[in-house]
Amino acid sequence: MSTTEIAAPRRRLIRDLDDGAFRDLYDCDRYTATVLGNRFDYLVEHMSARLLTGAFSPVLRDFYDLACTLAGPPALGYPVPAASNGIVLMAGTTIDAVPNMVGEFGIQRLHPGDVLIANDPYRTGNHNNDLVFTRPVFVGGEIAAFVTLNAHQLDMGGTVPGGFSATKQNVFENGLVLSPRLLVSQGENVRETWNVIFDNVRMAEVLYPDMKTVCSSLELGESLVLESIDRYGLAAFHGAMRYATDAAAERMAQGMAELPDGDWEAEHGVDCDGIDDTETYPVHVAIRKRGDRIEVDFSGTHRQARTSINATVWEVKTAIGVALKYNFDPRGRFNSGLFRNIDIVIPEGSVVSALPPDGAVFLYFEQSQVILATVLMALEKAMGERAIAGDRAGTNLHTAFGAWSDGRPWVSAMQCGGEIGPFGANRHGDADTQCMSYLANGVAPSVEAVEKDSPVVMLRHEPVPDSAGPGFHRGGNAMLRDTLWLTDAAHSIIELRHKSVTGFGVYGGGSGINGGVWIFPPGDDGAPVIPTTDRSSFASGTAWAGVIDPESNAPSSDGVYRYPFANSNVSAEQSVLRYITNGAGGWGNALDRDPDRVRIDVRDEYVTIEGAARLYGVVVTGDPHDDPEGVAVDIGATRTLRERMSRGGR
Amino acid sequence: MIGVDVGGTFTDVVAIRNGQVEVTKVPSSRVDPAGSVIEGARRLGVEGSAVFNHASTMGLNAVLERRLPKVAFLTTEGFRDVLDRGSVHRPLDAQTDPAWRRTFGDAAKPLVPRYLRRGIVERKTAEGGTLIPLDEAQARHELGILGRCGVEGVAICLINAYVDDEHELRLRELVREVLGNEVQVSISSATSPLAKEYERASTTVIDVIMKLLFTGYATEINSDLVGLGFTGQLNFADCAANLLPWEEALERPFRILFAGPAAGTVSSGHLGAAIGRPNLLCADVGGTSTDVSIIVGGAPFVQNTFEIEHDLIINALSTEVSSVGAGGGSLVTVASSGGILVGPGSAGAEPGPACYGRGGTQPTVTDAALLIGILDGEGFAGGAIALDRGAAERAFESLDSPVSFDERVRTAYRLAAAHMAEEILNVAVRHGVDIRDFSLMAYGAAGGMLLPSVLDLLPLREIIIPPHPGLFSALGLLSADQVYYESESAYVVFSGTSAAEIDAVYSVMEERLRERLGEAANGLPVRRSFDGRLVGQSWETPFVQIPDGPITSESMTQVVETFHDAYELRNGNRFDSFPVEGVTYRVELVVPAEKVAYTPAGQVEAFAAVPEGTLTLRYLFDEPVSAEWFHRKNLSPGATVAGPAVIREELSTTFVASGQLARVGLCGEILITSGSEE
Amino acid sequence: MHTFPRPQSQRLYVDREAVQDAQCPECKGSTIRAYRVLSEGGWWHVTKCQDCLNSLERSPASPLGSFVPLGSTV
Repeated sequence: MSTTEIAAPRRRLIRDLDDGAFRDLYDCDRYTATVLGNRFDYLVEHMSARLLTGAFSPVLRDFYDLACTLAGPPALGYPVPAASNGIVLMAGTTIDAVPNMVGEFGIQRLHPGDVLIANDPYRTGNHNNDLVFTRPVFVGGEIAAFVTLNAHQLDMGGTVPGGFSATKQNVFENGLVLSPRLLVSQGENVRETWNVIFDNVRMAEVLYPDMKTVCSSLELGESLVLESIDRYGLAAFHGAMRYATDAAAERMAQGMAELPDGDWEAEHGVDCDGIDDTETYPVHVAIRKRGDRIEVDFSGTHRQARTSINATVWEVKTAIGVALKYNFDPRGRFNSGLFRNIDIVIPEGSVVSALPPDGAVFLYFEQSQVILATVLMALEKAMGERAIAGDRAGTNLHTAFGAWSDGRPWVSAMQCGGEIGPFGANRHGDADTQCMSYLANGVAPSVEAVEKDSPVVMLRHEPVPDSAGPGFHRGGNAMLRDTLWLTDAAHSIIELRHKSVTGFGVYGGGSGINGGVWIFPPGDDGAPVIPTTDRSSFASGTAWAGVIDPESNAPSSDGVYRYPFANSNVSAEQSVLRYITNGAGGWGNALDRDPDRVRIDVRDEYVTIEGAARLYGVVVTGDPHDDPEGVAVDIGATRTLRERMSRGGR
Repeated sequence: MIGVDVGGTFTDVVAIRNGQVEVTKVPSSRVDPAGSVIEGARRLGVEGSAVFNHASTMGLNAVLERRLPKVAFLTTEGFRDVLDRGSVHRPLDAQTDPAWRRTFGDAAKPLVPRYLRRGIVERKTAEGGTLIPLDEAQARHELGILGRCGVEGVAICLINAYVDDEHELRLRELVREVLGNEVQVSISSATSPLAKEYERASTTVIDVIMKLLFTGYATEINSDLVGLGFTGQLNFADCAANLLPWEEALERPFRILFAGPAAGTVSSGHLGAAIGRPNLLCADVGGTSTDVSIIVGGAPFVQNTFEIEHDLIINALSTEVSSVGAGGGSLVTVASSGGILVGPGSAGAEPGPACYGRGGTQPTVTDAALLIGILDGEGFAGGAIALDRGAAERAFESLDSPVSFDERVRTAYRLAAAHMAEEILNVAVRHGVDIRDFSLMAYGAAGGMLLPSVLDLLPLREIIIPPHPGLFSALGLLSADQVYYESESAYVVFSGTSAAEIDAVYSVMEERLRERLGEAANGLPVRRSFDGRLVGQSWETPFVQIPDGPITSESMTQVVETFHDAYELRNGNRFDSFPVEGVTYRVELVVPAEKVAYTPAGQVEAFAAVPEGTLTLRYLFDEPVSAEWFHRKNLSPGATVAGPAVIREELSTTFVASGQLARVGLCGEILITSGSEE
Repeated sequence: MHTFPRPQSQRLYVDREAVQDAQCPECKGSTIRAYRVLSEGGWWHVTKCQDCLNSLERSPASPLGSFVPLGSTV
């Protein structure tokens, strides 16, 4: 197909359309368009709810690791008026997955009652475990819509159970690749498709009911679509889809038009891949903005990594959508119209546009975070007070394996590492310290449940004072977690961003302090050595990741880089594992922060008395621990100190 | 019997004598909250009443508005930030919203500021037993600091205290020793001995706050009622609208944080039983939002937690209620694309809808209903408020939208109903039920005005407007039983060999419960249930029933089977091959209470009701349409009304849309069906 | 193409092909380039003004970029 389109001339704003013009354009009145728009939003929620209720998988239930979309027919360009935000990482990719799947499979081969699936990152984005299921909805022999669920499956084969690994070297190690194919054909299960999955994955017995639940959620979606078409008519249904995407495009365009025109660049990336640390992987972003148009160019980005830390172009598109949505359409759902005035230019074969078979893609979300951060950095100047500071970087996921004394194996996945960390500040105030990351969301397991399931005792989980980026609004502090492992354990860590600052400050705010990972072996008597939290405490441990001062073994920006995959990262029983996330960035000038807010931070031990002076120029007196309500600001000394610091005497 | 529902603005008092409902409204007072309750009691008279059942938003509002006493939180050293963390989860619609902060986090409004959250050196293991002994000297030091800060209450939640309460008990003694007996204390192992430290900690904090708010209040009400000649039982309603004798409630007052929506559901179930409707969706239309709940087979859906704000969770049994931001006071606004929007913003109690004439200039759904002609400008709220049509018109005119005036009004009304319909459908979908088997109980003062229109959008069996829809929730306080319960947690994988352990857990709890009730429990059965999960899952399926009798290795097989059945019923899937793990065990003892009686009239023939007059409905149709209107008090069982029509009563209005048919049922309820199915 | 070797160069760039004798109808700019972008609806070949970012032409490009599943050519 080689139709050439000349870009359409500028249209009138939707709000300027009179009733007749609106009806001509969208085949329904404004009320119907609004009601159907509302229906589209709910429809994806109804389908997600059905899946979340029925699924076995904790990954779905606790991390909402799914996305659901409604898409229009090919003739309309597969518009997606609503995508559910189970997890934003997947909402964007699912928009493109459907046309890619249908196009490759062949639209003429689809029939009522079909379910088409695929999981290949190069075709559908995300990673192999994210299996996309789409069902065409037919009206009068034609496809009127697609209902789609993209849902994380517990396993998709490959060399690592569950798949979360930074060290897989190609698509063959990575897991089963499914090009588009029918799972259900005209209401009948296609057994060879179910079997090619079950024959290649672990925990097939769990995948089976989860996949069945996905299929029943799609049936629910189909019935809701048909009922809406029955009530409002096909033309209105499609008109409302176009209306919803046009309105989203317009909101983004208007938001972008408010920014000054300009060219901005930034570069940021992960420290290494799973082979060694001879290569770093900077992502380079150049943004050009003219009027209500924006172009984001990734030229200058580093080639793909040798292991499974790459991402695909579909992640790039999603991350840019999120970055711009933050500012221009924060509460609405993902919608294909968001991208109308955005052009993304990407060289192929880069770390964010990897190619098969050597550009393995699994920890794509680490790159999504990098892309988001790089775009936020590049836009900082343009955004002015609306700039958003960096968060703690990636997901800092931890997994440990071992055996109980009776030989039974145990696994602790995503519970005891740096999964919880800070957000960056923005104009709306100080940031939360305990979150997942900008692009992830989920329910953290309780300490008590973790200790019941695995031979581990959590010793502490708390913020590190003075680790947050200072600012008029403070970033979130780094989070420290110490865990005591009662048996020998092998640890899998994903620490990809410690070399450079990730918690960058904006609008004059300061940056957060980077963390790392340490292991503290037991003493000679075999008893655990439980470290304190001060800087001297690191000496008795061994750093597994981070940039580390060789003397004290504590994190230090001018220390020595520890490559996280250098060793096998095993620990003897009664060892203590320490995780410290990176701190997040501040917003606005710290010297303008109300001294009383600094006093409260000192009272609450987010900031020390020393840090209050060094970071904020506020002289605080008293004993925060033993007399918290006696902590006070020395106003005169503060004025003097701040004057000196603002003259550059920091 | 008397029910009193203390709201933020008004205290509603409902009495039932000889089958007649008597009502009074007293302004609520923040300064003297007990005073308004007693004033209401005095007006209606309490002599001879068997029960005085109380529900209040006082506790909830204090928490929501953070008007809180100064309390401290003690926990295992290293874990004081569990209260800043919650479950970490962000709401789905805030994922790309840079303005969102965790409402109870340290960056927003914590219930306990970090400096009053203190770590104590000690550590219990998951199996029970001591890893680090309690450092009493350190604990005394920390308590001394809290004493100097002048805290009024202390909540204590140590890691793993749900399996081993030794350190919590000792710490409570130390609090008494250092801070004296004036300070209220709650310890997690006595308040809610359930696994998961965050929920248990927040429950314990709310508990000690509620002790400080309610102890004096309840004592005062009780003695004043006695002074008025009351000889019956004062009960407080919990978050599932179960009744607790007031002294019992004060033992663990976190349970009575908020009963409002649950009371409406209980009320629906009670009326549903009288009129033969065991399957109900319940919708309570308020000013700001509509609360939706579900009753299947006569039983409300009870859950094992209550969510105060997003992720601010306590371990209170509560009725599952979901909310949508569309109600009578919802604001009508304009999207950037020019279209009309309804909610989630609301005009609130002040200034209220523009037509209230209290300074509101933005149009609301109520303004639309007035302009359409559904609401009566003079007779609104029993004539208490005269509605200002001009103000409503001006408010709609002021919108900056290309949409015509007529269309604005019409869209506002219809969109509100559409939002409600979607949420009702969402609740049905989540519970896997077919909406065609369900009737919608429509209440709240604005329920009858908006919800019948939902019938045009959803194939519900019918809409039911109960008698006294504006007081229906308060009547729920007179539709409930007393329920005593105990619960505790232990992670145990169910098998023949674990039967003795489970049996022991239940025996101990049951004994404790019977001991507490004494003779009152004689002859009453104890219901046993557990919250369990499939091994590998992180969430529980609640309220799986345990059969009567001793738990043996044989009956464990049946328990496991029952779990799989319950799981399938709740989730629509079955995983027989997975072992089942018990998490929380619960015993309940139900003491039946006197309730409001719905007595059906004898069989009656249907007849067409006689209208009071006609009115003109505008904007809903292309042309103004004439419709009949009726007084509800003049409609007896069997009366039928064909839509479009308006049925007025003192505190509420019902709109029967065109094509619909309303019929008065045997208990005075109005049953509305879409005419096509008749 | 179905199988790609790892790129030799460390940093990768997108070439923007100069389009001769073209003028932007919107801003009258004459720096017009042709290249491929990802946007609403997937990959596009675009001819764009480099001054105002106006597209003179947009036509659909291969949906998976350079990746063409080998089986699709059978």
